[in-house]
Order: sequence, then C-alpha cells, then structure tokens
Amino acid sequence: MSAELPVIPNRPAPVPYLAALTRNPRAKARAAVLCALLLFAVLTPSFLSMPSLTSLLATASVIGCVAAGMTFITIGGNIMSFALGGTAAISGVAFATTLNAAGLIPALICALLLGGLVTGFQGFIVGSIRANPIIVSIAANILIYGAASWITNNETINYLPNAGAAALQGTLFGVPIEFLAFIMLIVIGQIILTFTVFGRNLLLIGSGLHTAEATGLPIVRTLTGAYLWAGLFTAVCGILLSLRYSQANMEYALHYDYDAIAAVLVGGTPIGGGDGSMIRTLIGVGAIAMIQDVLLLHGFEEEWRYLVTGLIVLLVIILYSGRRG
Amino acid sequence: MLVANQLTKSFGPVEALRGVSFSLAAGEIRGVCGENGAGKSTLMKLLMGVFHPDSGTIEIDGRTQAIDSPQKAQELGLAMVAQELSLVAHLSILDNIWLGNRAVPFLHRRVRFRRRAAEALRLLAVDYDLDRPVSDLTIGERQIVEVARLLVRDARILILDEPSATLSDIEIERMMSALRGLRSEGRSILYVTHRLGEFFDICDSVTVLRNGKDVATHQIAEINRQKLIELMLGRGFDEMYPEPTGQPPAMQALVISDLRIPGLVNDFSLVAPRGQITCIAGQVGAGAATIVRSLAGLVPEATGTVTLDGRPLPLGSIAKRVARNITFVSEDRAKEGIFHRSVLENVVAARLPRFTRVGLLSWRRLRRFGADICKRVMVDATRLDSNAFYLSGGNQQKVLFARALGGEQAGALLINEPTHGVDVGARAEIYRLLRQFCAAGHVLLMTSSDLEEVVGIADTVVTMYRGRIVAKYARDRINMSAILADITHPTAVSEAAS
Repeated sequence: MSAELPVIPNRPAPVPYLAALTRNPRAKARAAVLCALLLFAVLTPSFLSMPSLTSLLATASVIGCVAAGMTFITIGGNIMSFALGGTAAISGVAFATTLNAAGLIPALICALLLGGLVTGFQGFIVGSIRANPIIVSIAANILIYGAASWITNNETINYLPNAGAAALQGTLFGVPIEFLAFIMLIVIGQIILTFTVFGRNLLLIGSGLHTAEATGLPIVRTLTGAYLWAGLFTAVCGILLSLRYSQANMEYALHYDYDAIAAVLVGGTPIGGGDGSMIRTLIGVGAIAMIQDVLLLHGFEEEWRYLVTGLIVLLVIILYSGRRG
Repeated sequence: MLVANQLTKSFGPVEALRGVSFSLAAGEIRGVCGENGAGKSTLMKLLMGVFHPDSGTIEIDGRTQAIDSPQKAQELGLAMVAQELSLVAHLSILDNIWLGNRAVPFLHRRVRFRRRAAEALRLLAVDYDLDRPVSDLTIGERQIVEVARLLVRDARILILDEPSATLSDIEIERMMSALRGLRSEGRSILYVTHRLGEFFDICDSVTVLRNGKDVATHQIAEINRQKLIELMLGRGFDEMYPEPTGQPPAMQALVISDLRIPGLVNDFSLVAPRGQITCIAGQVGAGAATIVRSLAGLVPEATGTVTLDGRPLPLGSIAKRVARNITFVSEDRAKEGIFHRSVLENVVAARLPRFTRVGLLSWRRLRRFGADICKRVMVDATRLDSNAFYLSGGNQQKVLFARALGGEQAGALLINEPTHGVDVGARAEIYRLLRQFCAAGHVLLMTSSDLEEVVGIADTVVTMYRGRIVAKYARDRINMSAILADITHPTAVSEAAS
C-alpha cells in the first residue's frame, strides 16, 4: 500500500527573488536580517568614509568572484569545491609568469584556460563516474598545491614593468576594478543560469539527478560545464589578486573557498542544490563583507572574523535545513 | 477466538479502514483478499499493535484488548510474518528464528532452543544448517525461515501477509502442509495473498476487503474464483475505461527481440505496434518493470535487439532514446519522475533546445508552450509556477505524460504503473490520455500490477512469470482469471497462447 503524497492545494507560486522577499516567511526573515545588518554598518563610524568603502568593495569582490563560480557547483547538486582557493592562486601565478614572458593578452588567456581546465576536469570526473564531489575537490586541491610547489619552488613572481597590466590596476571612475569585474561576472552568471539551456539543465539536474537521467538531460556535459564556469570565474579572482599586488604566489586566496561557500549559503542558495541564483550570491557576498568589515572597524582581531563567518554558515544551514523534509 | 469490531484507521486525509468487522474461530484458516490499497496490510498492522485504531475494538477470547505495541500482541498470542522480510542478514538461522521472541530469557540454554528450531524447520520439510548466516540464503529460503520463526512462537493466532510471493511451488506446498498441521492443533490463521488460487487450496473461509470496508465473508465452499474477483473489484469496468481506438495496428512498431537481462529476463521478444496499448503483466520481481526500464536505457547490463519502425534503437543509450521522442514514465515519481521545481520547468525539461535564439531561451515562448501542453493533459494552467513536487499523485503523473507531448514525431511511451498512487478520479483521465497518445500514433508499452487496469486498458497483454513470457492475448481474448493464473502459476499455460 503506498502512502499518498501530501496534497497541498494552491501553493503560492515561487516568484522572483526580490518579490519573494515579501511573501515567503523565510525570505522575510532573511530580508530583515540584511536590513538590520545594513543599518548597523551605516551607523558604524567611518563605515561610509570613502577609503573604508573602497577597500571593502575590493576585498569582497575578489572573494565574490570565487563565490559566483561556486554557485554553479552548488546549484548543480555538488555542494562545494575545496579546490577553488588553490585554483585562484595557481591562476594568479600563471598570469604573472605569462605576463612577464609574453604580455597581457596571452597572460589573461593562459590564466583563464588553466583555471577552467583544472576545474572542468573535476566536473567531468564528478559527472561521468558520479564521484563524490567533495573528495574529488580535496584531491584536486592537494594536486594543485603539489604541482605548483614543484614548478615554482613556492617563489613569489614579481611583475616586470607592463603598461597593459598597469591599466587594469586600481580604479576606474573611482570604482575599484575588482568590483567592476565581480559585477560583470554576476551578470554573466545570471544570464547563463536564466537564459541558456545549460543553465536550466543545471538547475534541473541539481533538483533531481535521477529524474534528469531518466529524462535524458546531458548530465556529464552539464556538470563539466558548471565546473568549467566555476574555474573561469575563479581564475578571474586569481588575476585580480595578482594585479592588486603586482606579483603572485601560492599563498594568495588561501581559504577563499570557505568564504565563498559561506556567501553562497547566506545568499539563500540551498546546500542541496536545485535552486539559487547569482543575485542571491551577490547579496550573500555583500552581507558577509559587511559583517567582517564592521567587526574590523570595531576593533576585533582577525580570528574573530573566522569565528563569526563559521557561526553564520552554521546558522544558515540550520535555518534553511529541511527544505525537502 | 478473535473478534474485530468496526475498526477504523485514517492516515491524514486518507481513510485506510472504514469500519472493518470479522471474527475468527479456533482452528480456522481465514483468507483475506482485496486490491492494492483495500486496507489488508493496515488491518494486519492494527492486529499486531504496529498501528492503533482510531475507533473500534479487538476482542480476544471474549475480552476486549487494547493492542498498543507489538510486545502486547505477542503476549496475547498473536504472531505475524510480514510482507517485508525482517531477518537480520549476518545472524545465524538459529538466532533469527528466536530473535525478538519474548520466551527467550537473557541467559538461555542453547540446546533446548536448538531443538525447537530444528523441529520447526523439519515441519517445513527443510534441513538448513542452523548456524548458517541468513545472508547465505535465497529470498525464498529466507521466507521459509520467517515461517519457522512464526512456528516457534507458540502463538494461537498467526498472521501471514503474502508469504508466498517469493516462494516456489514446492516451497509453498511445504508451507501449506505446515499450516494445516497448525490448524489441526487448534491454532487460527489469517492468510493474506494476491494469489486467489491459494484461498481455495488452504482457507476455510475468506473475507473480502474493498476501499477499507469488509464487503463480504464466505465459506470457501460457497464461493468461486469469478465471484471473488467481482467482490474485490465491486463494479464493472465500463465507465472507467475509454473505448479502444479501434484502428488496425499499423505496420510500424517497436520490435524487441531476444532481450536478456542477466539473472532476471531471458529471451524476451515482443512487437508493440503504434496506436495500441501493449501491456506486460507480471508480479513484482517477474521482470516486467525492468524490461521497460531497459528499453528506456536505464539498465546497462541488458542485451538484445530493439528497433522502432525498422530503425535500430541501441539499448543503454538514453540520449538516442530521447532523440526518437521515446518518453519513460517511472513508477517512482519522487525519485526519477518529478524535478523539485515548477510545473512549467517540469513539462518543458526535455524540450528546451527548441526554444532558443542565438543561444538564449525565450521564456515567453516556453510559457506559451507549457500552458498549451498542460491544457492538453488536463493540468490546471494556473499551476504553471507551483512546485510540481507538491501536486497530487494524479497531477504529477499528468505532468510526466505532458513531457511526451510536443515532439516533432510520434514516438513511444514506456510506462511503469501508469496509475500508481493516483486516485480514482484522475485515473479515468489518465486512461483517456493514454488513448489520446494511441490516436496520435505513439507506441504505448506499459506494465501494471493492477489486473483490473490491465484488463480494462490493454489492447494486447503479455503475461510473464519469473523472466519468461507465459502467454500473449489479443484484445478479445483478455480475461482476468487467465492472466492471474499465468502470472502466479506458470504450469497452467493458457490455451489462448498462440
């Protein structure tokens, strides 16, 4: 005898994110928290002063690029990758090296290609043999750091003078270049998710892998694509970090994957996948950046930032659990 | 000995039992029959204290008893072999026979218990080594151990819920003779089965359940098979099932030859013509559902030749199957049928590439297309944005059928259990949909464990028993008792086979 599925008549339709803020009680709570946070930030002395805001934007944007990439992985039902920090670092090193050897355009291509391929290959493994994505990413992370220390001897690569790179450093019309790059990625990412067959398939696969298989959706291609995009977005983070310091080494972007998944989850993309958007990640990145900045301005030390970030992620997971209960 | 009075039980809005009464005398074997969902298992679980009745009473030896736990049921002398095997695989046969028995003290004398267990197995005419782990046994052998476990319980009222489903004929015969021995000791037995023949083999009387009510109780001598089926179904098929389309079978068809699935299906061959409903009937485990899955490309180890309209269809390739517009409708909607997303996204899931321009999707056109096919499968178009996961079973099933619409060519539908978990009202709509797919020239190949449905909807029925075809029936030769005989007793190969 089979138990009937619960019949819930006239369930309110899911609506776009901003409109949903007013309907869904959970989204309402989230919006309230965000507003309180914003208020608290604005009331903090020197938060709105220009240097503080600029540096906040730049730092948050660099992590935001990884978070935007991570969003593809999370939406597709593969939770997160632990290899994105390493991927960002190695992309930065590749960028700096190629910049010195061949110039700006080859350096951009080389860094993006490396990030995309390294991560895309993980996606292929996860999609084709259904390997555990967490384990694959941990293995990849070790490989990345191992290969990098073998090739570069863990040395820092300093820029030779380069006019092209100099043009990409600093600000454009007073806005940090990092922030512009991040917003560009969010827009591109959202267009991919909403308006391409690949993006829709990714959401469907994340919401039901077996159903996707039975329906004949291209699982291997889609998951490989999701990781490929994640790698490209992460490479952008590596390039931005390298540009900022005019050098690169493997110490950059350490633990950015943790900050990124925190931002994705705080934004409201469920850890189980099948739902989510770049807009949510944008909000999540903003929220976490604001919290960390306010803590700094109030004189809390670095370790407090980690503690608070960890607590926020735990809180979010507890609050959002049972979506499929 | 046992009297049940007006037992009722609801699960949320579903009334599983709506006032069931019966009485069981000492030394009586009572058959209990009914369709899937008639309330048989719920009734047994009430008696065993797994569920508690919402109202009604249970009397044992004239005293009203509240059976509030399985332990209480055991104390009162009730024991049951459940539908789902409940043995512990890594423990020995001996341990399993005594597992959970309240007669076993904490420090027990193994010799006495060994002897009792060996006796019980001897009664069932098997001589398993008591120290073998249960994991070594086949499903049928495990079922025998389950029955042995029942025998050592000293229970006065034994409940067997489909004990024969996994047993061979010889094993069934042994079990029956053991049960007859128990009857002569004055114990009472409630015997639940889908195999109607067994009622006439072993039962003294039979109670028929339908939609949660006891509709009749008869001495076995005063009833026949035909009557029993009528009582179970309770109505004619006429209003439920639409007329067959009546068009002659086209030359084009889905042709399956020598399909083989290791350990399950041998040399299965079948021609399923376009415009007709071809149904494979078999019990759970006979292989019918797996055959349909293999055609959908979901069983990698399947081998054989399959063609549609003469063009080969490689087994195991989901992409090639989808390219021919062949849609698979699973019986497990929650796992492999419905995406946890909106109705719109569910119905257009496989058709997205057709709605792009320069690589970007047109949501306006997608929405129009989705609304159109929802209308065609009778799903309320205002529900386009609702999460399909929360629709009723009937609406979910229609969403799955909607996925087959809108292809450029008529393809095929491979359907396992088209009305599993679907209420009666939506059933009729789904049968009408199936006929519409026929009229549009699709091949329809389905399986069903609901025999009423098989008889009502199929144009051709193929019966299966343990991975082999027993018989084929054309529309005018389909009848329920022949099909039932085929899928339960392979010996009685029907004369209709040609």
